[in-house]
Amino acid sequence: MLWSPTPSDVPRSGRPAYRVGLDCYGHDMQTRGSSAALSLRGLSKAYGPTLAVDRLDLDVPRGSFFGLVGPNGAGKTTTLSMATGLLRPDAGTAHVLGHDVWSDTVQAKRLVGILPDGLRLFDRLTGLQLICYSGLLRGMDRPVVTDRAHELIDALGLAEAGGTLVVDYSAGMKKKISLACALIHAPRLLVLDEPFEAVDPISASTIRQILDGYAASGGTVILSSHVMDLVQRLCDRVAIVAAGRIRAVGTLDEVRCGMSLEERFVDLVGGQTDIGEGLAWLRR
Amino acid sequence: MVAQIVSLKWQLLRNGLRRSTPQLVGLILAGLYGLGALGLALSGLIALRFALPSDAARTAIVVGGSAVTLGWAILPVIAYGIDETLDPARFATFAVPRRQLVLGLLLSSLVSVPAAVTAILGLATVITWSRSVLAVLVAPVAAAVAVLTCLVLSRVTSTVFSAMSRSRRGREALSVLVVLVLVGVWAAGSSILRRLSAPGLLPHIADVLGWTPLGLAWSSPADIVDGAIGSGLLRLALAVVFLVLALLAWDALLLGALENPRGTSGGRAATRDTGLGWFGRMPGTPTGAVAARSIISWRRDPRYVTSVTLMVLMPLGLMLPSVTGNGGLWSLAMAPTAGFLLGWSVHNDIAYDGTAFWAHVATGVCGRADRIGRLTPTAMAGSVLLLGYATLGCAVTGRWDLWPAMFGIGLGFLLTGFGVANVMSAFKPYPVPGPGENPFGAPPGSSALTLVVQAVAGTAVFVLNLPLLGIGIGALLGHAWMGWLSLGMAVVLGSGALVLGTWWGARIYERRAPELLADLSRIG
Repeated sequence: MLWSPTPSDVPRSGRPAYRVGLDCYGHDMQTRGSSAALSLRGLSKAYGPTLAVDRLDLDVPRGSFFGLVGPNGAGKTTTLSMATGLLRPDAGTAHVLGHDVWSDTVQAKRLVGILPDGLRLFDRLTGLQLICYSGLLRGMDRPVVTDRAHELIDALGLAEAGGTLVVDYSAGMKKKISLACALIHAPRLLVLDEPFEAVDPISASTIRQILDGYAASGGTVILSSHVMDLVQRLCDRVAIVAAGRIRAVGTLDEVRCGMSLEERFVDLVGGQTDIGEGLAWLRR
Repeated sequence: MVAQIVSLKWQLLRNGLRRSTPQLVGLILAGLYGLGALGLALSGLIALRFALPSDAARTAIVVGGSAVTLGWAILPVIAYGIDETLDPARFATFAVPRRQLVLGLLLSSLVSVPAAVTAILGLATVITWSRSVLAVLVAPVAAAVAVLTCLVLSRVTSTVFSAMSRSRRGREALSVLVVLVLVGVWAAGSSILRRLSAPGLLPHIADVLGWTPLGLAWSSPADIVDGAIGSGLLRLALAVVFLVLALLAWDALLLGALENPRGTSGGRAATRDTGLGWFGRMPGTPTGAVAARSIISWRRDPRYVTSVTLMVLMPLGLMLPSVTGNGGLWSLAMAPTAGFLLGWSVHNDIAYDGTAFWAHVATGVCGRADRIGRLTPTAMAGSVLLLGYATLGCAVTGRWDLWPAMFGIGLGFLLTGFGVANVMSAFKPYPVPGPGENPFGAPPGSSALTLVVQAVAGTAVFVLNLPLLGIGIGALLGHAWMGWLSLGMAVVLGSGALVLGTWWGARIYERRAPELLADLSRIG
């Protein structure tokens, strides 16, 4: 099966497990939950009659660069929102480095940096102010926040735009400034929803460098995307989500089964329509 | 195409309701209220047919009708909750022929509670005028012209306003204009009311209004009933000409909106601010950060700029009677009015964040910091305004003995308003225009929920301050010590309400922050 147990190189903290039992693949769950950077159990969310996320289990090992891929409407954003405390699940639990997101909220939120997709920013602030706002809201010291904000702005190539209102930024610049906001408190887990959408290739490579460095130093990155190519190049672990459930999860090679990620994805998710002779009117 | 636009509006209204139960409840309440008022007005119109001479009917319908028309024309100025469901700019990318678009938008604006009420009342005047065959023939035409004029005028005003509100200068000019209009209406209304006892005044007003664009259509059937057929038809013709002119004006404005849908004309000069700004000036704590962010929004966000300018200028209208010479103690009410408006204004503050509020949820900022931080700009403006208005009011009236009472009542209103707002805004945000949208617009089908929440917040503040108002009146009657008592009470009562409201609001906030974000992404 595609599920792989916790890699041995990840240290185990020996914390008591919060749920004992075997998962559906017969693996001992005790061994994975405690050392996971993010651990989701039975997470569910329904919007009216529509089940967006359906009893989803997922473990993201510490230090991994984890890609969450899935078709539109698969529940990626809903899952990540529930995992980070932005959206209350109907059922199930989410743990960040052992802290329950929905009961040990303060600790869990301190450890996570979030870049959400499709949510607004306080766009009447300048870029610099927005980054500082994120830091100060977290109760950090102003001198530290200011120093880091300037560094982040330089690193992300936003030095020119630091004093411009965020409302005047391009979509790509907004992504970069959001990333800076997510990084300001040096989180242990980064949850990025569609971080490369609308980002130009140069900015994308800057962001990749930052994320690579972060992951190499022991941080954990989870990102969602529907650009398979990018996930394939960046991530060492992948989960394929469809219709609110995990369809495959593991290291990149385990999930790919020798194919390209895209082929494997289409293979698993299916549902692509064969146009055949349809849309004839479009091809005059 | 016209039918499609109308059904689009209907669909939007229905879908909007399907998404939220409170909104449905609000609409039902508004509907019941509307039905009650409608029933009263209808029976009045029918009574005019049978119970009174036709002179009385003319006076009532011309004055009432002109007032309704004027109301439609200035409604978009006063009510932020004007429904702009079918924003013409949204049609910019579809190649809808302009004539059909104009007609479709016009008819679709009939699909709303106020428009339906106006239309029914307009048709009911046919009953009032059913005194001769010709009148029965003319009255429906005149009523239709009158109702359409109402709709077109309101569209013209709102289009002009949304065009103006795109630039900062335009918005400021607009706010001043709004205050002038309000003051004008209020002054005219009050001076008419005062002279109402004078015999023959109302019929005289009706005569004058009957020849203005406001009253042309309404007075046409009255002439017919009185036998002045020539003048009746002339009025009708003039009313049609005016309607056509208004339509042409709207058409021209619409063209502007279609060709320049995102309002780039108001090109904002990129603000270059390299420092931390207010983030450097406020304390480096979460509370200070929220406060700094709120202050910056106040200064840079058109939605805040508009409402703040209004709130700051509105109390000045109370000085008008003193300026026009018929004195009164109205000017004294400036400080209490300012206090009430400012305190009450923050009860929906979270909604203005929109989904940007996620930053507060993600960082897990504590409820107290969020609550108190948001009040800071209003508190800063409030303290200056209360001092200023209390002093100004006393200077104008010469009643310096009432300073403590007026400042006290204003302070009481402000602080209890804060307390109520801290609970309300953590409890139920209602839709507001998104950032960068027309500050005079409101999201579709929201007005009922908006009205309910606003009424609850307003009533709560008012009731909490009843004892204070009682003592204030005592001071007004000449018991100077009661003025000081009310000041003392305001401090105690107000801070009590503020502390309690903040504590309670913070608890609700901390429990409901993710739900608030969900609410905001649903309405945003």
